[in-house]
Amino acid sequence: MHSLPEQTQRGENDMLTFRFRAGAGKVAVYVLLCALAALMLLPFLWMISASLKLDKDVFRFPIQWIPTVPQWNNYVKIWTQIPFLTFFANTAKLTIIITLLQLFTSSFAGYAFAKLEFKGRDLIFLAYIASIAIPWQSYMVPQFIMMRKFDLVDKHTALILLQAFSAFGVFLMRQFFISIPNDIIDAARIDGLSEYGIYFQIMLPLSQPALATLTIFTAVFVWNDFMGPLIYLNTQSLKTIQLGLRMFIMQYSANYALIMAASLVSLIPVTILFLTFQRFFVEGVASTGIKG
Amino acid sequence: MKRLYTFLTIFVLFSLVLTACGTPAPTTQPAAPVGGAPVEAPTDAPVTLKMVAWDISTTPYWQAVIDAYVAKNPNVTIELIDVSSAEYQDKVNIMLSGGDESDIITVKDIPGYSAMLTRNQIIPLNSYIETDGLDLSAYSGAAEELTYEGSIYALPFRSDIWILYYNKDIFDKAGIAYPDNDMTWAEYEDLARKLTSGTGADKVYGAHHHTWRSTVQLATVQDGKNTVIATDYSFMKPIYDMIVGMQKDGIIMDYGSLKAGSIHYSGVFKNEQIAMLPMGSWFIGTMIAAKNAGEADFNWGVAKFPHPEGVTAGTTAGTLTSLAINANSENKDAAWDFIKFYSGVEGAKALAKTGNLPALRTAEVLDIFASLEGVPAEATEALQTVTVRLELPMHPKVGAVEQILNEEHELIMTQSVSVDEGIASMTRRVAEALAE
Amino acid sequence: MDAMQFTHLNKTASGARRKTLTQNLVAYSFILPNLLGFATFTLIPMAFSLVLAFMHWDGANVVTWAGLDNFKELISDETFRIALGNTFYYVIGTVPPTMLASLGLALLLNQPLRGRDFFRTTFFFPYVASLVAVAVVWNMLFHPAMGPVNQLLTALGVDGAPRWTASVDWAMPTVIMASIWKGMGYYMVIYLAALQGIPSYLYEAAEIDGANAWQKLRYITLPMLTPATFFVSIMLTIASFKVFDLILVMTGGGPGRATNVLVIHTYNMAFRQFRFGYSSAIAMVLFIIVLIITIVQFRLEKRWVSYM
Repeated sequence: MHSLPEQTQRGENDMLTFRFRAGAGKVAVYVLLCALAALMLLPFLWMISASLKLDKDVFRFPIQWIPTVPQWNNYVKIWTQIPFLTFFANTAKLTIIITLLQLFTSSFAGYAFAKLEFKGRDLIFLAYIASIAIPWQSYMVPQFIMMRKFDLVDKHTALILLQAFSAFGVFLMRQFFISIPNDIIDAARIDGLSEYGIYFQIMLPLSQPALATLTIFTAVFVWNDFMGPLIYLNTQSLKTIQLGLRMFIMQYSANYALIMAASLVSLIPVTILFLTFQRFFVEGVASTGIKG
Repeated sequence: MKRLYTFLTIFVLFSLVLTACGTPAPTTQPAAPVGGAPVEAPTDAPVTLKMVAWDISTTPYWQAVIDAYVAKNPNVTIELIDVSSAEYQDKVNIMLSGGDESDIITVKDIPGYSAMLTRNQIIPLNSYIETDGLDLSAYSGAAEELTYEGSIYALPFRSDIWILYYNKDIFDKAGIAYPDNDMTWAEYEDLARKLTSGTGADKVYGAHHHTWRSTVQLATVQDGKNTVIATDYSFMKPIYDMIVGMQKDGIIMDYGSLKAGSIHYSGVFKNEQIAMLPMGSWFIGTMIAAKNAGEADFNWGVAKFPHPEGVTAGTTAGTLTSLAINANSENKDAAWDFIKFYSGVEGAKALAKTGNLPALRTAEVLDIFASLEGVPAEATEALQTVTVRLELPMHPKVGAVEQILNEEHELIMTQSVSVDEGIASMTRRVAEALAE
Repeated sequence: MDAMQFTHLNKTASGARRKTLTQNLVAYSFILPNLLGFATFTLIPMAFSLVLAFMHWDGANVVTWAGLDNFKELISDETFRIALGNTFYYVIGTVPPTMLASLGLALLLNQPLRGRDFFRTTFFFPYVASLVAVAVVWNMLFHPAMGPVNQLLTALGVDGAPRWTASVDWAMPTVIMASIWKGMGYYMVIYLAALQGIPSYLYEAAEIDGANAWQKLRYITLPMLTPATFFVSIMLTIASFKVFDLILVMTGGGPGRATNVLVIHTYNMAFRQFRFGYSSAIAMVLFIIVLIITIVQFRLEKRWVSYM
C-alpha cells in the first residue's frame, strides 16, 4: 500500500516534542548541533584559510587559521594561471547536458519499469541493479577502448554518452513511480490516454520532487567528476575544472593555496543548485517508495 | 534454467570475441632489435608531430627547444599534448592501450618506461642510432641505464642528479663549516646532529628526508654493488638504521608527520626549518624562483651528494627524462629527427638556459647552467659527476617491485615494524613477485 | 481490486495477443533511450571486464585464455587476503555507525528548531565538498604531532596518543571516521524524507493511549522507518564495498597495506602492474560478495520491513 504523494508534506513529528518544551534540553540540543555543524564545516573553513595563504604556509604547523597577510590575489591568479574560465564553461556545459539527458531518459525508463508490463522487464531491471555492484575501475579500460573505436575520444560527446544513462537514475525514478497509486493511471487509461500521454500529463508533473533529487545527485557527480575527464579529454580547451585543479600540482611542487581557492570558487554553483532544489529534495526522496 | 543458459551463451560469445580481436596491436613487430627503417634525410614535406608531455605551461623548456627545432626545420609543426604530472603515466598507458597515435611520448620514469617497453608500445631506436652514428657515452651512463636486452627505446634529454642543499645562515649561526664536496653518509649524520637545535615551532632540524622511498634507498645503491631489484635486501640495513635512528632522535622530521601533514620539502627549506636537504638538481630552479618572488631570502648553497665509505665523491643518483617514439606513430622518421635534436647539444643548451640539467653534460653546457642568475657559485663543482646511477633499474617487473618496496618502506618509516622485519618482508615479497 | 482488471478478459484471444505486442512495443519505446545508451556504453564494457577475469591481458597485446588461473592465484595472493579482510573491516565499521548517525541526525533535525534548514544544508556539505580538500583537512586534524585532536588528547593527559593515518592500527579507524562523517549527512536526508511520511494520526493515537516519547520512538517511528532503513542499508553496504577514492586520497592504501581494500587492489593490479585479467578476477569476487549480501538482505526484508 502506498501513500499519495500529496500526503508526504507533514509538519514536525510529535515523537520527541515533549523534550523540547523543557528549555535546558533545547539549549543542549542547539549546542550539540552547533558543535556538529562546526565539525562539518571545518574543511570549508580550512579551505578558505588556505586559499588566502602563500603556498609554503598552507601546511605550516601550528595551523594559522587566520593568515597574517591574506593573499587576496590568489583569487585573481586562478583565472590567469590556468584557463579557469574555459574549464568552468566546459564543466557547466557537461553538467547541464548530462543532467537533462539523465532526467529525461531515466524518468522515461523508470515509468516503464514501474508501471508497464512487458517481456524481459525484470531481467533487464536486474541487470541495471547488478551493474551498481561493479566498480568503475574494473571496466574503465574496455570502455575506453570501445569509445576509441567509435572515434569519440577527446570529445565532450564521449563523456555525455557515458554518463547520461545511469542505473542509479533509473532505479531512483522507478522507486518513485511505484509509489504512485495505480488508480490514477488506470483511470487515465480508461479515458483513452496513451501511455505517452499518461507520462507527460500525469507522471512528469507529479515527479518534480524525484526529478529535483536526481538533478542534484547527477549535477554534483558530473561537476566533481575527475577520472572521466582525465581519461577522455586531451585537448586543453575541452578540459574541466577538476582537471584544471590538477594543473596546480606540478612534478616537483604543488600550489595548494591556489587549488583551494579554485575549489572554493567551483563550489559556489553546486551550493546554489543545492539550495535551490533542496526544498523539493526532502519531499522527493520521501516518495521513492522507501516509506512503503 | 533458461536464464542460466542465456548467460552461458553470452559468456562464451564474449570470450570468443575477446580472444579473437584482442586490442589494436602495435603496427611493428615485438621487441626484437629491428627498429624502424634506416633514416633518410628528412623530406621537406610538411609534417605535424604530436608530443605528449606534462607541466607544459609551467616548464619553459618544452617550447624553447621546439622553437629552436622549428626554426631549423620550418616544415615541421609540433603539437604538445599536456597531461597533468601526477596522473601522467596512468593517462599515457590508457591512451596507448586505446591505440593513440601521438608520435613522441615523453618518458617520465622507469616504471613507465618498463610498462611501455614490455608491451611493445614504443620502438627500439638502435638502427636509427647506428645509422646516424650517435655516441651514447656522452650521456654519462644514462644510455646504458635505458638499455634492455641490447635495445634502447628512448633517448635521454634531461637528467637531474641528487645533490646536497644547505642553509648557509643556519651553518653560520652554529659556527660550523659548510659541507664539502667529499662527505660520507656518516659525516653527514654527524653534521646533522650538530646542527639540530631548538624545540617546538623554533626547532631547526639538521637534515630532511622527504617521504619518497628514494631519499633513503638511493644511498643504498650508490656503491653499485646492488640495485633495488634484489634477492636479499639486507644491504639496505645500515642506511635504514641510520635514518630511523635520526628520526627517533628528532634530527629529521618523522615520516608519519610529513605524510599526514602533506609537508613538502620545499616548504620546510624555504621556511628555514632545516639545515641540510639531499634533493634533486631540479630544486635549484625552484629556489631561484622563490628568491625572486621574495619567498626565501636567506643564503643557500649546494654540495655534492654524500657517498658511502670507499666510493668516489661525485657518485650520485639521478633521474632520467627521455623521449620515445610511439609504435603506432605514422611519422617515425620525422619523430626521430626531432628526438635526436632534443637530446643533442642544441637541446641541451636550450635546457640549460632555462635552468634545467640536460642529460648531455658537456663543459660548455654546464657553464651555461652555472652562469645563470641565482645559481650558487658552488654549483659548478657540485654538479660534476663521476657516475650517475638510476634509482630504479629497467626491469620488466619493476612496477610490482616498486609497489612492494613503497609499502614496506612506509611500514619501516612509520616505525610500525622494525628495520629488520621490514627488510625481511621486502626480501620475501619481492622474491615471490619475481618468481611468478 | 477494481473492475478495470477484468475488462481485459472480455477481449478476444487474438485481440489480447495484439494488445500484448503493442504493450511490449510501447514499453520498449520508453526504456530504449536509456537502455540503448546504458547497454552500449556501460553494460557491454562491464560484461567484457567480467569475462576478462578468465583471461590474461596486459592492456596492450593480445588477450589470451586463462581459464581459472587467475582465481587459483587469488587463493595464494597475500595482498588479496589482506584487502578482503580490510574491506570487511571497513564495511562493518562504516555501515552501522553511519546508519545510526544519520538516523539520529534526522530525528534531531526533524524538531521545530531555529536555523533547521541551515543545519540540514551544513550536514550535507561534506558530501559535496572536494575529496582532496576533505582528505587534506582530515589528515591535518588528525596529524600525529600537531593536529588539534592529538593536542587535545595530550592536554587531557592521554599518554601516547594514536598516530592515526601514520599507524598501521589506527589508519583504518581514521578512514572509517572520515567516511562516517562524510556520509551521514547524505543518508540523513533520506531518513528526513522518510520521517515526513509518517502519518501524524499514529502519534496522536499513541498520545491518547498515554505513550511516552521513548515508546513512540520504539513502537511507531522505528517500525515506520524500516523501509528507509532497508534502502539505506543496501545502498550504503554496496557503496562501502566499493570504497576507493576516499582511501586513495587519505592513505593510498597504507601504511604498508593497512588500508588496502579490494577496489584499490583491483586498481593496482590493472594500472600499476598491467594485469587486467587478474584485476577483473578480483572485481568479480567483489561483485559476487556484494550480490550475495544484497540477495540476503532482500530475503530478510520480509521479516523486518513493514510497509503500511
